[in-house]
Amino acid sequence: MALLEIRKARREFVTPEGGRFAALDGIDLDIGAHEFVTLLGPSGCGKTTLLRSISGFETLDGGAILLDGADLSTLPPFRRPVNTVFQSYALFSHMSVARNVGYALEVRGEDRASRERAVAEALEKVGLTGMGTRKPSQLSGGQRQRVALARAIIGKPRLLLLDEPLSALDRNLRQQMQIELKTLQNTLGIAFIFVTHDQEEALTMSDRIVVMRAGLIEQIGTPRQIYRHPKNRFVAEFIGETNLFALTIDRIESGQALARTVEGLELLLPAGTAKAGDKAVAVLRPADFTLADQGIAATVTKAVYLGADLHLFVQPAVGGPEIRVTARDSALAPKEGTKVHLAYDPAASHVLEAA
Amino acid sequence: MRNPIGWAALTLFSLVFFLFIYAPLLVIIGYSFNSNPVNMMIWEHFTFDWYRGLLGLGSRAADANNRAAYIESTDQMLRALRTSLTVAVVTTTISTLIGTATAIALARYRFAAKGFYNGFLMLPMMMPDIVLGIGLLIFFVTIGMNLSMLTIIIGHCTFLISYVFIIVQARIAGLDPALEEASADLGASEWVTLHKVLLPQLAPGILGGALLAFVISMDDLVITYFVAGTDNTTLPVFIFGMVRRGVKPEINAIATMMIAASIVIAALGLWLRARKTE
Repeated sequence: MALLEIRKARREFVTPEGGRFAALDGIDLDIGAHEFVTLLGPSGCGKTTLLRSISGFETLDGGAILLDGADLSTLPPFRRPVNTVFQSYALFSHMSVARNVGYALEVRGEDRASRERAVAEALEKVGLTGMGTRKPSQLSGGQRQRVALARAIIGKPRLLLLDEPLSALDRNLRQQMQIELKTLQNTLGIAFIFVTHDQEEALTMSDRIVVMRAGLIEQIGTPRQIYRHPKNRFVAEFIGETNLFALTIDRIESGQALARTVEGLELLLPAGTAKAGDKAVAVLRPADFTLADQGIAATVTKAVYLGADLHLFVQPAVGGPEIRVTARDSALAPKEGTKVHLAYDPAASHVLEAA
Repeated sequence: MRNPIGWAALTLFSLVFFLFIYAPLLVIIGYSFNSNPVNMMIWEHFTFDWYRGLLGLGSRAADANNRAAYIESTDQMLRALRTSLTVAVVTTTISTLIGTATAIALARYRFAAKGFYNGFLMLPMMMPDIVLGIGLLIFFVTIGMNLSMLTIIIGHCTFLISYVFIIVQARIAGLDPALEEASADLGASEWVTLHKVLLPQLAPGILGGALLAFVISMDDLVITYFVAGTDNTTLPVFIFGMVRRGVKPEINAIATMMIAASIVIAALGLWLRARKTE
């Protein structure tokens, strides 16, 4: 049985114009006891509302949330066995780091000795040993983040909720924390639900990603499934850079479909169940293309330097939208105006289930 | 590039500005040590007599002067001071409690007529004191309540609650609501959250509101004038009644002690504030 079961969760808000707006429009989701699940989507997609419904700060208008099979909806936030890491960290500035971290135990009425032991242990887990006597204002952003984390895990919750906790950190620290969070989740052996709008974060840490839009789940899958096999145009475009091709299948040949765009650009795709005359949308990531001696004839219109890689905008000779291509940077790399040929592995391409 | 004339003018302006603010205070401090009992503007010689008189260390000269030149006795003046302090302490306590509770309720809970409460809490602050004073007097007379220290306290509370409310409300508006959510998330009931998180976070605002309420209550003349009974004169009312016949030298000593107390209170407030934001 899943640790957390979300059944037909609905939550509506009244808009300033007096209309109704469904932040959660019937969400069904199961989360396993040791899973790292990321809720990913643009602002306003309902991911934070879903998280706050689990922690109890939002009340559902319909549906249920079950933890270990028991309905949470009647429990106020302070009785729910889940803990949250807030986006703003929400550290108590009038308390020392140690008292912040030990707050859950203090409220529970545990004695000082066991509290101090647990605080030291929690601080060690997040790499802040010896920082207990400081005030939150004396810490850096990354350290505050760790205090918030230690404070949330000290009560040994079955489920930890993280509301965009890394969004205030700079890029290097964010990447480091992503790895640490994943490691911590493995060590603790509990479930993490992580909310973010950053697809890179989602791909790095998650066991499963839940892509949300307008109160609905668009797709649930492993990072690889979501990246390589997006269900629809929204998911394909939201996760990473993408080239989308609207195609008509020309003919099927030895397990491959030959398809062409309106402009006449020809692409080979895995045939699947398609038949001649079908419309299809194909997804090819910028890294799926290589520069070759033959293939799609095109001209580089823009080359963006990214360090190890170059990001190329390439105009096919037959016309149509530009194709985005990632290439290794080298002395021989194409510049703006260079004529190139693009090759790709048809097996890497993916045809959307629904355009 | 400095403009020498502009700078000279600015310096002069600043000097005059500070002179007008502080000269009266310095003059009063000077007078409080002048031994001349009849005309304080003529310097006789340095004395602590007025302070000694106030602190009950009775100097014979001062007592003699009291009988000779003034109707009001030092005792009456001390009683007025005691009334003022009692009123200020009680009103500060009441208005801080109610003002803080109201600010929290209005910021954190949803209930009917919230906008109404918000607007009407501001009103006593905007209203001219004289209107409030007459209004209270008519009200007390109508309900048949005798003017006493109680009516002064009620009168002060009506507008001091607003002051405390506004200061605490400003503080609570700047507070991250996630702090209380974090507390609840970690297992604290609303009550525990209130005294472990919310009140400590609001403390600078509550303290600031209380200090302001105390100072305004000590200082209030107009409203008190209307609602004070004959037996319960506060110090400002007492001094105001006295100046028509000439100011007793002890007044200067009291004023000087009040200035000293104000400086101590202000310094305390600043120190607490600095400690909180550290």
